[in-house]
Amino acid sequence: MAIIEVEGLRWRYLGSDWVLKGIDLSVEEGEFVAVVGPNDSGKTTLAMCLNGLIPNNYPGVMEGRVVVDGMDTREHSVAEIARSVGFVFPDPESQFLSMTVEEEVAFALENMGLPVDEIEERLEWALRLTKIPEDYLEKPPYELSGGEKQRVAIASILAMRPKIIILDEPTSMLDPIGKTEVIEVLREMKRSYNATVIVIEHRLEDIAPLADRVILLYRGEVLRDAPPREFFEDVDFLLEHDVFPPDVMVVVNELRKRGLYNGPIPLTLEEAERALREALGRR
Amino acid sequence: MEAVRVESIRYVYPDGTVGLEEASLTIEEGEFLAFIGQNGSGKTTLAKNIAGLLKPTEGRVLVYGQDTREVPMSKMATLVGYIFQNPDHQLFNQTVYDEIAYGPRNLKLPEDEVEERVREAMEIVGLPESFREGHPFFLTRGLRQRVAIASILAMRPRVIIVDEPTTGQDFRQSIDIMDFLLKLNREHGHTIVIITHDMPIVAKYAQRTVVMAWGRILLDGPTRWVFSQVEVLAEAHIKPPQVTRLAQRLADLGVPPDVLTVEEMVGAVEALLSRSQ
Repeated sequence: MAIIEVEGLRWRYLGSDWVLKGIDLSVEEGEFVAVVGPNDSGKTTLAMCLNGLIPNNYPGVMEGRVVVDGMDTREHSVAEIARSVGFVFPDPESQFLSMTVEEEVAFALENMGLPVDEIEERLEWALRLTKIPEDYLEKPPYELSGGEKQRVAIASILAMRPKIIILDEPTSMLDPIGKTEVIEVLREMKRSYNATVIVIEHRLEDIAPLADRVILLYRGEVLRDAPPREFFEDVDFLLEHDVFPPDVMVVVNELRKRGLYNGPIPLTLEEAERALREALGRR
Repeated sequence: MEAVRVESIRYVYPDGTVGLEEASLTIEEGEFLAFIGQNGSGKTTLAKNIAGLLKPTEGRVLVYGQDTREVPMSKMATLVGYIFQNPDHQLFNQTVYDEIAYGPRNLKLPEDEVEERVREAMEIVGLPESFREGHPFFLTRGLRQRVAIASILAMRPRVIIVDEPTTGQDFRQSIDIMDFLLKLNREHGHTIVIITHDMPIVAKYAQRTVVMAWGRILLDGPTRWVFSQVEVLAEAHIKPPQVTRLAQRLADLGVPPDVLTVEEMVGAVEALLSRSQ
């Protein structure tokens, strides 16, 4: 059953042109979806439509319908929708409220009025999934590294056990170590927690192999919506629409154009190595 | 001609954190360099010492032969320009024109010279004339960054340091900004230093790369050589670009392990195939 249903969605902010120009989208429970596209294509706007911030907190004009976990976003408050949809921002510091990691992760749980033992259980689970060591509990979040901060932000969302988690460019502000840590958490989320995950990303090297489905949003429209293997098949189409497929995909695509290889586009470095061995093995 | 000489400097922040230890390097005029390393590795601290925004605790930094501790800030601004990652950290005027004119006016240049420099800087970064009276904060981030760059260019600094030019930018925007820096380097003779985590961008644009970790310079040399130093890079938790890693996995088949770009990789495969025919 679809947990997200978007039908004919159009949105414009007060005084702007249409930012979303007729989006139809349906996401099944448990799917891992990557949303890609150049800046100003409407990716973040679409994400805010899914957690109800649009239309509830922004002035503008909405057409069409968004139903998330059975809730029409026009008929439910942001707080109600937040119980089903967790949101992770690019800059983790923007969402910190507390003086210690423990308070940060437990904050919403206390607000939800959960019993103490359940709070403890969820806290422990969220920290384990995001690989935050116990001795971090008393540290102030702002003293952590970028990757650790983002993992705390993700833990605090996970602890609420939302059915849907949306991450808006979760690695864009991080250094390479931080990026790797956060991708590792996404992998673990996919493996051990059957949430529906929607990730907005520019750099696709690490996300491509994780996603069940990739959506290209371009100037407010969905131009492509397919499983990664199919999505990345047409590398030239992606380049024309300002999407940056990982280098190894572009290499293999060029070899195919020259008739030097005729297999599928690789999603990972390992697959690319096999493809190149095959191409070079024809000697 | 030597543009920058960093002589075994140490830098300690006011809170006691050691930012740099034993750092030395020289930069020739006209080079295009990248400083890479994790956050906290010292790359920004080094860059700020070169720009004179920080002064070394020990050792000295010479820019065109002049000690950064002795050059007045107004003179320094004509030698090294530093473009912050977040353009909003450096924009504070009410119009695009005043923003770009701010530096030249501080140099006490006559107003017609100021006007000329603003016009030139806006042209180089591709800001249309019609933007002159607009407020910087009503522009998109990409355009605000151009205003920030123009305001540095108007000072005509010989060395330009750009902190994370491609963070938050998409594919097209990244290429645009880097091609523009390359043009400043090739056609206008500016020395360019980028501070970045974006390895494909380093591979494509920088001739020379400086790798930093724990406040020290770990590697400093031609980018091609740096990315082939796999073990040292691993210590600094830096992965070479994906295409370089692919080439390194295929070294046993004769693919050169220092491939930097997609074009080079395709060329290497073609060469191997034609040789065997």
